[in-house]
Amino acid sequence: MMMYNETYDQRYQKVQEAIAFKNKYVVSTYMGQSVPPTYTDGITLAEYMEDHDRGLQCFLDFMDRLNSEAPIDCINFAYPGGHQGALTLAWLSKINMPGKELPEDAVWQVDERKRLEDGDYDLIIEAGGLGPIYDRLLPQLIDQESLNRFFKFYGEDFDAVMMKYVEAGYPVLNSGIVCPPFETLCGGRSVNVFFMDCYKQIGKVKETQDVMMSGLLEQIKAIDKKDYLIGRWIGHWRGASNMINQKIWDTLVWPYSKKLAFALLDQGVTPIMHLDSSWDRDLERFKELPYQKCILNTDGMTDLRKARKVLGDHVALMGDVPSQMLTVSSPAEIKDYVRRLLDDIGPQGVFITAGCDAPSCSKYENLVAIHEVAQEF
Amino acid sequence: MGKIVELLVALEDEQLIEAVKEDLKAGVAPAKILADCQAGMVAIGEEFSQERMFVSDLMMASAIFKDVSELLLPYLSAADAGEGLGKVVVGTVRDDIHDIGKDIVVNMLQAANFEVIDLGVDVPPADFVKALQENNANVLALSCLLASCYTSILDTVEALKAAGIRDQVNVIIGGGPVDEHVVAYSGADAFGADAQAAVNYCKEVLA
Repeated sequence: MMMYNETYDQRYQKVQEAIAFKNKYVVSTYMGQSVPPTYTDGITLAEYMEDHDRGLQCFLDFMDRLNSEAPIDCINFAYPGGHQGALTLAWLSKINMPGKELPEDAVWQVDERKRLEDGDYDLIIEAGGLGPIYDRLLPQLIDQESLNRFFKFYGEDFDAVMMKYVEAGYPVLNSGIVCPPFETLCGGRSVNVFFMDCYKQIGKVKETQDVMMSGLLEQIKAIDKKDYLIGRWIGHWRGASNMINQKIWDTLVWPYSKKLAFALLDQGVTPIMHLDSSWDRDLERFKELPYQKCILNTDGMTDLRKARKVLGDHVALMGDVPSQMLTVSSPAEIKDYVRRLLDDIGPQGVFITAGCDAPSCSKYENLVAIHEVAQEF
Repeated sequence: MGKIVELLVALEDEQLIEAVKEDLKAGVAPAKILADCQAGMVAIGEEFSQERMFVSDLMMASAIFKDVSELLLPYLSAADAGEGLGKVVVGTVRDDIHDIGKDIVVNMLQAANFEVIDLGVDVPPADFVKALQENNANVLALSCLLASCYTSILDTVEALKAAGIRDQVNVIIGGGPVDEHVVAYSGADAFGADAQAAVNYCKEVLA
């Protein structure tokens, strides 16, 4: 039965098959939120971020341009509308933006400082959530207009935005970030302070995270599942296995990630475990997720060969051409990297793409190279 | 393994502080206590290299080491502190404001008895050159978390050449998106995959 249009439906089918390890060919996946304005005349990164209509069109035009060079099956993270708001809320940090705190074409950066005070764990627990923290911190971190733009993008505009991708024939894997409490607290406390909290008051941190989880689970329950909604990122930046000792990871990271994954699945949404840094130590744990229902999205630091060996056909893998290669290597080197990877882990259950995110300064020919070489598999 | 080393490796901060106070009261030389702590940090570095300890452990250990050092400082003479292993200029490159990785490296280098000149974040190439010249330092450790800032690494290496000091300075780079490809691109000498690698490199080139 036709869902939207032929191109979209075929690609959507390929995505779903890859998650279930039924795909014959690797899924050629675009990732590069900040790249399109680099290769588009007449629009700066600042304008791209600020003007959602122009930004989205720029993104879609760039997809078409790449797709004309080599087919793109889907997009991991699409146009980053409302990004300042999304990241501010996720990390309780000030996000320095192009054209504001930074030059017009400089990519956004997180200005992480200790903003959650020592007593704020108790405040969150007593309030039953982040309400009073938002009231106090958000006016310091983001202007109301930018915050409103975020809510509008993911609220009243969202359906129309997603339908643009549908019409253009590109399934979008990630339709929003779910940020585990560990990551939010880490951003708000700053990593130096938060990691000390994890040693010295792990019980208090856990109690706070439990309170925050209730709110997150409610938000997930409220997801309006449309056909175009494929998955959501569960963001893991500081909770990586190589960052955190085992006890802290077992107590404050994994139980929450797992619970969020199950909650998304209950809503029919594929959990995309976005994993920065190395997760080699704990790969085995991903077997606790339901069979062939999730995607691990890595950045080049997790060993995908080891992941395949440990996890077999349990979860799909998405990655992982390193950002440094996209910037400084040649297309031949990119192709060689991808070929070696796919020779070793095979095309089944694999989305081939840039690791983490392609930087704005990625060479165009290197991005094309990923999608060109994908056709061989 | 002595008690001080053991407690530091176990990251038992409160017990360690108590043990240090008791040792001081019992007349143990402050320099000996400091040396034990440095030995503890070396052991922690080893554990990290063997993937039995992780970044959070390094950060916790560095914080404990700092607390003990502050406690010992009033009791230490200049002679007690001994000759440092050498000077290292550290900073995050121009246009990059990330400081977390850099700070871990700074703490680990200090704990390993290097004198660190920390220039902070968003540091222009000329400031690195100036700091190296003024301090007569032979190692430059550059942190970079953004692929868009590889040019800042390149420009810093070029600035060393222009100042005529490239041959005297060992340049190590580090940060999430940094590897041998960026070393080749920028003309740096090495990259450190983590803070311990930076410490090992500094020991190697300043030994």
